Amino acid sequence: MDASHLSIREINSLFTKKELKPSELYSKVFENAANSEAALHAHLTLFEEENIKKAAESDKRFSNDESASLLDGIPIAIKDNINIKNYKTTCSSKMLSNYTSPYDATVIEKLKEQNALFTGKTNLDEFAMGSSTENSAFGLTKNPWNTDYVPGGSSGGSSASVGARSSIAALGSDTGGSIRQPASFCGLVGFKPTYGTVSRFGLVAFASSLDQIGPITKTVDDARIIFSSISGEDSRDATSVINNQLDLPSDNTATIGVIKELMEDGISDEAKNEVNKVIEILKSKGYKVKEISIPIIKLSISIYYLIAPAECSANLARFDGVRYGLRVDGNTSYEMMENTRAEGFGSEVKRRILLGTYALSAGYYDEYYGKALQARKEMIDEFAKSFKDVDYLISPTTPTQAFKSGEKTNNPLEMYMSDLCTIPANLAGLPAISIPTGLSKDELPLGVQVMSRPLSDNSLLDFSEIIENEVQFDGQPKGWL
Amino acid sequence: MSLKPTIGIETHIELNTNTKMFCRCAVVDTDEPNISLCPTCIGLPGALPVPNKKAIEFITLLALSTGCEITSKGMFHRKNYFYPDLPKNYQISQFDLPVGLNGELEIVIDENKDYIQIERVHMEEDTGKSSHSGSGRIESATSTALDFNRSGVPLVEIVTKPVISSSKQAVAYIEELRQLSIDLNISEGRLEKGNLRFDANISVAPEGSTELGTKVEIKNMNSLRSLERAIDYEIQRQTKAFEEGVEIVQETRHWDENKEMTSTMRSKEGSADYRYFSDPDLPDMLLSEDFIAEVETLMPLLPKAQREELMTTGLSLSQSNILSKSDEWIKKLYVKVFDQTKDSVASYNWITGELQGQMRKANIEVLPEWFNDGYLPEIIELIKSDKISFTSAKIILTEILTTDTTPSKVAEENNLYQENDSEKISEMINQIIQENQDIVDRIKSGEDKLVGFLVGQLMKQSNGSVNPGMAKELLLKELED
Repeated sequence: MDASHLSIREINSLFTKKELKPSELYSKVFENAANSEAALHAHLTLFEEENIKKAAESDKRFSNDESASLLDGIPIAIKDNINIKNYKTTCSSKMLSNYTSPYDATVIEKLKEQNALFTGKTNLDEFAMGSSTENSAFGLTKNPWNTDYVPGGSSGGSSASVGARSSIAALGSDTGGSIRQPASFCGLVGFKPTYGTVSRFGLVAFASSLDQIGPITKTVDDARIIFSSISGEDSRDATSVINNQLDLPSDNTATIGVIKELMEDGISDEAKNEVNKVIEILKSKGYKVKEISIPIIKLSISIYYLIAPAECSANLARFDGVRYGLRVDGNTSYEMMENTRAEGFGSEVKRRILLGTYALSAGYYDEYYGKALQARKEMIDEFAKSFKDVDYLISPTTPTQAFKSGEKTNNPLEMYMSDLCTIPANLAGLPAISIPTGLSKDELPLGVQVMSRPLSDNSLLDFSEIIENEVQFDGQPKGWL
Repeated sequence: MSLKPTIGIETHIELNTNTKMFCRCAVVDTDEPNISLCPTCIGLPGALPVPNKKAIEFITLLALSTGCEITSKGMFHRKNYFYPDLPKNYQISQFDLPVGLNGELEIVIDENKDYIQIERVHMEEDTGKSSHSGSGRIESATSTALDFNRSGVPLVEIVTKPVISSSKQAVAYIEELRQLSIDLNISEGRLEKGNLRFDANISVAPEGSTELGTKVEIKNMNSLRSLERAIDYEIQRQTKAFEEGVEIVQETRHWDENKEMTSTMRSKEGSADYRYFSDPDLPDMLLSEDFIAEVETLMPLLPKAQREELMTTGLSLSQSNILSKSDEWIKKLYVKVFDQTKDSVASYNWITGELQGQMRKANIEVLPEWFNDGYLPEIIELIKSDKISFTSAKIILTEILTTDTTPSKVAEENNLYQENDSEKISEMINQIIQENQDIVDRIKSGEDKLVGFLVGQLMKQSNGSVNPGMAKELLLKELED
């Protein structure tokens, strides 16, 4: 039996029954990495050596019946914009290619407390800006289902790794869909929790008001386990919230809304079919399903591409060559900073910094950033209104299946459109999940997205698990395993 | 045509909190660089700011003490500009929703009160410190050393409306603000340590004109003396330019302490567009009524009220002002001495004149512990009742500042009590007259100034115990007879 295909709970049960040792699973996961990394490039760095001792410690805890954590001995891949003490955090940028973090992110501290193991740091679009993991200074990542295709992004390394079973689960970050879209492209579950439920301390900021850490896993239950391990109020993150969960029905007393604007033009038939398939199943189980219109969703991309770049233009200002990271010399301090930033950042990052700087400039603020904030507020209100009528909102996760590597690299606008369905949840701070539901005619995974009101994450997971069980998606990428 | 200068002052006061504004690093007072740092205050990737409640309390206190309206929902804003000692290359500050708006501060110049209108009171985090080698300025430095101990230390910025019209007023304003911050116990108020730093905006316009002239910002004034001189210099420079028809350009000028002149730092063309926007890492600054009420309870007796109280003892406004700006122990001592003597002028003169003068001369910083609150009243009483001379009183004070004794003991041991018995004095006078018949003759023939010689002889013979006033009076009477 290959334990790397199992869920966390199944693995833990084998560990507890002493039918499997953490070190055995560990070897298996690295064997998978050895088989897949050359073709996929999911990880930027693998922590194989340094984890052998930790795996042995897990072995010992299980053999002494001393383990109290579901994550004990579970190999988890970490997106390389999340700090692990004494390891590099590169954000897939030349700017930070030599940067080692002196501290742990809160989520890493929490996973360490539960004795999870880290397989390594995974590839991403530079500073999490992108939808294909092609904007990495260290080479692109491929989709484990078909290496001609992108794994999605920006957490493409994390999704490719879980897809190829070189980790059991992974952490990603989601600013406009960066967890859900790659999860969908790789046939996995991707969960973006309610904004503020998971601490951002130690996550290298892209757009602070939108960024959220979350899991990419094979099952909804795995996502639940990781979410409950990493969430909680953090005194080091002023935007973190007390995780007081709302209780929504997940059984057929729940009402489901289908977002009209995400079932129209611009969405492929294949993507719509997956939603319709799920709706039919839910209806047959007795759920009430209705169409919900949220017109402002059509403005999502415009709002997002003002707010996210504006925030990123300030967040990325600290990379100047003065204190850490890349330094390219110059004749004066300012010249040094200019040279460093010119050479350290890739073109997509520069594009967004310029866009954001422009949107915040005197004379343009009101017209661009100010208006975007206003529209964002309206969107939050519109979602709140919808949630008076329905418990969950359903839509495709992505307008299409995964696209081919290189297909959209020269057309940023088209690339941005692939986040159309996922961006609203970030703008409104909602919990949102992508569940794999089927395959396209190209044999590539497709998924549906479910959203619910803020702080109803647990109910959303429960409801998603029902869909997962009904749909019975059991696809696995072939060739690596 | 006569010109009228208009001045506005921006002051930064370093708050004396234990820890920094957005991290829990200690605020340190040391020349050893870079010893109080953490990921947040040096802007490491992934680090986040968490506000210091104490600092917000202090800023609110200052805003209340200057009669500002308090903003119930304040905001933190990012002020974006690149500078090597600014770790994030943005400064967390406040923009359109500062803690306090529209206040006023009473100042005193000689025997007159004046009122300076305050535009706003807001929070700002401090930057690090740059030491440029090869030149004092970054543009021409050969290298720059950075110390981030100060980075993130909380500041309160107080901006006046353009209502100041002279350097004298400006100095009185800073003196008042400094004392206020000390009395509020929110700052050490030490100018030489940079606890208070100020910039001035200066313009000149024809008397009676409703429009202000082009304003010029003056930086790098490190003392009250340089504030005064820089303002005077700049008014003169602008006046001359105006009279000669030379255009005054909007710019920032640097005060050169050695050359005693201002010179161009940067013109408006090169000045920054700070691209302020609300910091997405920080929730709104909610200053509830309860919080404000709590802060109100910390309000001490303000300098203005102190002056009013002191004036009820009989002191003039300027005397009260000087006392209100003296060290706490001096203020307290005055109240105690006045309570016992009911003589405001003698109490004031003895404390601010003789006592402080002798202490300065003898390098005594604090009163010795034996120095009883009753000593000065005792000395004042001895003089008033003619028991000792003013000269003796000074000797007594010198003695009790250095030796654990009492004024009466010193007077006794040194035979400083004056003879006030006119019969005894007359006896001595007769003896002196007999012994100095030749002098008496010369006096009688018109050499009046020799009277002093005889008094001197009398004092000498009595070891200074004779009341000199009485002695002179009796001697003259004797000579007339």
